[in-house]
Amino acid sequence: MRNQKSRIFKALIAISFLVFLVVTSKTITNRTRTALSDTANLPLGFFNSVSSGFSRIMPFASLREENRILRERINLLNRKIDETKIIYDENTRLKDFINFKKTIPYFTVPAQVIGRDPSNWSNSIIINKGANDGVRQSKAVISNKGLIGRVLEIGRRSSRILLITDPNSKVGVMIQRNRQGGILTGRPDGRCKMIYISLDSDVAAGDKVITAGFGETFPSNMPVGEVVKVDKEPGRLYKYAVVKTAEDLSKLEEVLCVK
Amino acid sequence: MRKIKRSWIFFLLLIALFLQITILNHLKIFGAKPDIILICVVFFGLFLGSSAGLGAGVAAGLLIDIFVLDFFGINALIYGVTGFLAGLLSTKVFKESKKTEFAIVFFFTVFSMSLHFVLVSAFSRSLNLGYLEYFYSSVIPAGLYTSIVAVPIFVKFIDMYGLKELQGLL
Repeated sequence: MRNQKSRIFKALIAISFLVFLVVTSKTITNRTRTALSDTANLPLGFFNSVSSGFSRIMPFASLREENRILRERINLLNRKIDETKIIYDENTRLKDFINFKKTIPYFTVPAQVIGRDPSNWSNSIIINKGANDGVRQSKAVISNKGLIGRVLEIGRRSSRILLITDPNSKVGVMIQRNRQGGILTGRPDGRCKMIYISLDSDVAAGDKVITAGFGETFPSNMPVGEVVKVDKEPGRLYKYAVVKTAEDLSKLEEVLCVK
Repeated sequence: MRKIKRSWIFFLLLIALFLQITILNHLKIFGAKPDIILICVVFFGLFLGSSAGLGAGVAAGLLIDIFVLDFFGINALIYGVTGFLAGLLSTKVFKESKKTEFAIVFFFTVFSMSLHFVLVSAFSRSLNLGYLEYFYSSVIPAGLYTSIVAVPIFVKFIDMYGLKELQGLL
């Protein structure tokens, strides 16, 4: 009986407390929240700033990875651009070659330069075509810009070309403007010299030099180069002209061998 | 000091020849390219003595003779003599000085190219080239270019073969 009374009393107290809470909850909770938030303001601000910092830093890892991938892609694209440019240049060069090949009145064999002279003395190149491909001994080798040299040694699948800039090379040439003849010989430094020009001739810088066509080696009227300088040979009865070759022979990649 | 095998010397000369035929032709300055084969021959002569210099020179010269349009054997003779003479200097100069290396390589480039000119002039009737013109237009640029290139190559070779110790023994 006593227990029952005490239980009822406790229940009443609890109910009245709950009623009190319900009635006054707004004020209490407000105050409690305000007090709590006031107290927690500083640490909350700190944790908030730390967490927002983390939220900013967190994507960096993925950004770094993305950056790396993008950089790799840029490198790859740059490489592809370079490769395309090389292919484009080669294509243009080969197109010029094909067009030139169509315009010349003789049969030619196109060839690629695969080696060069190791010494500082002679100037020659090795090409990837030989007797099997129709290359003939002592025949002229040309490019779309002009004369390059002649076939000196011939193998089955490769040949050696003596360039016009070799000291042992001799080519009969003439000045296009006045048909003044001379012999074109090479120099070890890669220049050419036209010798045996008569003293009374009016050869001047800028004159075009072409092949004379004497003999069977070189076709006539083939461009060779341009006169850069004219001078008198000391102690000789003729003048000489320094000739700049029409084709840059140090950068040759493709040539045509006349059959 | 490491011992340098003959096969390794030959292999090195082959690489030098390969570079000379291909890449170095695109690095010409005033029509001249560095003669790295000559640099190797002078190096072997200078650091390993006259016999090694002569052997390396003849081997290098024969390799060059295969690829050039000269009279066959002329380069073997020139490079052999050059290697031998470089070997004679091996005990007479301080080889690790860069200035000495530069001067020696320049001297031997001028010597070998001049000897080449003399021999070709003696054998060829059709050559229309004066020595002075050749000297100023080819020998001087090639000599300077080769000497400049020789200095870092010498440093690399000395490190590679541990030849600094040899200096102390001499």
